[in-house]
Amino acid sequence: MTPTLTGTKKVVTGNHAVSYGAMLARVQVISAYPITPQTQIVELLSEMCANGTLRAKFIKVESEHSAMAALIGAASAGARAFTATSAHGLALMHEMLHWAAGARLPIVMADVNRAMGPPWSVWTDQNDSLSQRDVGWMQVYCESNQEVLDTVIQAYKVAEKVLMPAMLVLDAFVLSHTAEQIEIPNQTLVDQYLPPYQPVYKLDVNDPRSFGALAPPDVYMELRYKMHQAMEEALTEWAKADEEYYELFGRRYGLIEPYRADDADLILVTSGTVTSTAREVIDELRAEGRRVGLLKIRVLRPFPAQLVREALADAQKVAVIDRNISFGMGGIFAQEIKSALYNTHDRPPIFGFVAGLGGRDITPKVIQEIIEYTESHDEPEDLIWVGVKR
Amino acid sequence: MKKPIVFTSEREMPPMAVSLADMGHNRTGSWRYLRPVYREKIAPCKNACPVGNDIPRILSLVSEGRYEDAWRLFRETSPLPGVCGRVCYHPCESFCNRKNFDEALSIASLERFVADACFDLEDRIPERPKRSEKIAIVGSGPAGLTCAYFLAKDGYAVTVFEAASQPGGMLRLGIPPYRLPREVLDREIELIARWGVEFRTNTKIGQDISIEKLWEQHDAVFIATGAHRGRALNIPGEELAIQGLEFLKAVNVGKTIALGKQVLIIGGGNTAMDCARTALRLGAQPVVVYRRTRDEMPAIAEEIEEAEHEGVQFEFLAAPVALRRLNGKLEVQCIRMQLGEPDASGRRRPVPIPGSDFIMRADAVLKAVGEEPELSFLSEHVETSEGIVIERAHGILERAGIFIGGDAQTGPSTVAQAMRSGKETAQAIKSFLRGERKPKPKKLEEALRVNFSYFVHQPRVPMPHMPVAERITNFSETKRAISSERARAEAQRCFSCGVCNSCDNCWVFCPDAAITRIDGTYEVNYDFCKGCGVCAEECPRNVISLVEEEL
Repeated sequence: MTPTLTGTKKVVTGNHAVSYGAMLARVQVISAYPITPQTQIVELLSEMCANGTLRAKFIKVESEHSAMAALIGAASAGARAFTATSAHGLALMHEMLHWAAGARLPIVMADVNRAMGPPWSVWTDQNDSLSQRDVGWMQVYCESNQEVLDTVIQAYKVAEKVLMPAMLVLDAFVLSHTAEQIEIPNQTLVDQYLPPYQPVYKLDVNDPRSFGALAPPDVYMELRYKMHQAMEEALTEWAKADEEYYELFGRRYGLIEPYRADDADLILVTSGTVTSTAREVIDELRAEGRRVGLLKIRVLRPFPAQLVREALADAQKVAVIDRNISFGMGGIFAQEIKSALYNTHDRPPIFGFVAGLGGRDITPKVIQEIIEYTESHDEPEDLIWVGVKR
Repeated sequence: MKKPIVFTSEREMPPMAVSLADMGHNRTGSWRYLRPVYREKIAPCKNACPVGNDIPRILSLVSEGRYEDAWRLFRETSPLPGVCGRVCYHPCESFCNRKNFDEALSIASLERFVADACFDLEDRIPERPKRSEKIAIVGSGPAGLTCAYFLAKDGYAVTVFEAASQPGGMLRLGIPPYRLPREVLDREIELIARWGVEFRTNTKIGQDISIEKLWEQHDAVFIATGAHRGRALNIPGEELAIQGLEFLKAVNVGKTIALGKQVLIIGGGNTAMDCARTALRLGAQPVVVYRRTRDEMPAIAEEIEEAEHEGVQFEFLAAPVALRRLNGKLEVQCIRMQLGEPDASGRRRPVPIPGSDFIMRADAVLKAVGEEPELSFLSEHVETSEGIVIERAHGILERAGIFIGGDAQTGPSTVAQAMRSGKETAQAIKSFLRGERKPKPKKLEEALRVNFSYFVHQPRVPMPHMPVAERITNFSETKRAISSERARAEAQRCFSCGVCNSCDNCWVFCPDAAITRIDGTYEVNYDFCKGCGVCAEECPRNVISLVEEEL
């Protein structure tokens, strides 16, 4: 790290960490529709646009569907495009999410994880983002405000390399509205890390081309194959982008992060802010001499299956905490991990826990109960509801 | 089209569905079945204006504070903006698109404002070839004045013959000064005279000079003598009533008339309203007796309201059947009416209720049940009914060069309609003298589809009035002028329907980038316009039309 190009320390909320990330990434077009708990992200960005801190076009729209449509237009014309949304707003974007991915537009979006209604809720869980798991967007679940800011910048780096859109995900209120000290990187260094977007194909009246036209069956499948290839490639690109970021800014996160998991008999798998709580519990239990470890899943799409397999290879038991529910099946992270491990030999039994829906707190005590339940049971269970009043 | 590119493996393919070749050859315009065309349209206000004042452009000038330019633009189409700003029934406002958004523009008060603001200005009279043809205009009311103005502007030698001692016709004799101050009328007549129009007053046709003589001495004659003969009530004792119009004329030329306190006015038209309000100002307590109800009254709504505000009383569904003099008073025997089936005018016919007679007492009775043209000077030459010419085939009107217009032709109508007639006659006379066919009026498309999303609500500027107590003691003008600030604010409310103001909406919204800007105007590249119609939809002022492509 060049000492003269250090960043500035600032106490900011997770939402504003997103805004600063977008600012440093020098996004050129922002289009958004307000929704709790996301609104502060675009509020700050609109102020930056208004006062000239950020030279970007801020397009006000009447819905999230239009917000994404506007970004699709902007990105098609070669602009670096950004938006933020949450829950129902994300759901409304659904059609356009497919379009952005199919058109291979490296749009980056922040989704503040908020439970879907009804019943109405503004608190966190992951069902909104996981409902969009298969639309062709990369998904990165963040644990801290610093990670949020860094992920915005990394996301553009990877997205523009592989031409797939990326969504960074942060928990409602636990991150979005909670302030902590972060480092705002130096702009010159960020510019060095993230040069301007150079699209290969773009809308240009002087070079007219057709975009998104009808693809007959003899080419459609190839284009889908290439999207999947791009996602595979993204696994490597995330790793590279993370390393390069570390070299310039001194921070890296990995696609997954094992924590005290090397010799663990039981590995707890988490995502989002639950991870921070789990770290504390693991430390306490380790202090008691218990062989427990943690695996944080940061990048869910593309799914780092090989890394997950390696991380869990030596565990005797795995407990997955899902702050989401696929009705009629169970927690979605648990399904992903089971599916990644199924074709391996000597796979550990996997316990699936669903907890903290609709913003219910996942306290150290809850995590401890999950660990103890897993330790005390031999046969794996697909779905254990944690803390449901029955 | 170029040779198609065939992919043999995914590696040859681009990442997304994008054409590798230039798609310039793909003329997407060929998909179109509707074609957007920039076609400025006539604003409904302008279309409704009997003299065709270019209201949107005039208001645009007012909004910029360019009052002189606005006034000159008025004078292109009308010699009487000061008069019209006060007495016109402003059909422009009834058709204003803005009335469907909040309230119609206050066009009349703006016309008056412009005329007042430019009261001292003169027309710029250019050097123009004098024409040898001489034209006689009989009557100096709005029809005669307007015809004279447009002929004189073209260099014709125009003489206007007027029976009264001053020109103006019904504007001077019929309309009371509290509605039309005489200095305004005098000024606008003076400006018409500046174009070389000669006024010969105190010259009554058929008495001081014959129509035959005029015809012999001129190349064209326009008969615009108006409708001055008051209709009769045809009831016993009729002679005890005064003709309302004669009463107005007398007051308007400054004669002193003693009516007494109780005055009945028979009739529900504009003359009746003028009579009532004039009588009020002479100290009377006028009561309007009308055989139908307020809804059927033919007077302009505004005049009825003003009369009501000033304290004129109304006796509806009553008709006089006889007049008598009794002990120095007049006794009017009336019968109560009820409304029956609609008549030819569409208004419900008044039907007497048998045995419902009642008596009203008065010091004076004014009859104002309509006027008709007085065309006795033509009587040997044409056949008339209720004064209106019905047969001209063998009469003098059939002679080349004789024209008739205004109220003399139609019976009593409005100032603006008389002006329209005068203007059209001027054109007809020009065509006649030049041996051309009368030009056919162009059919213009109206701008009716204003996109309200682009405008903000703004209330109409109210027309200030003098307080009633102050009004009824004298003949000063009842309406007051609006301020310059208010005039500009009001003019800024104008949508400018059908007039492009280079707002760029079409250019911004075109999803095919098929519109180009050229010096504030726009051009559609039809090779690439798919005819989606977004431009027409988003045009705030209805300038763009969608026309079906011919297949």
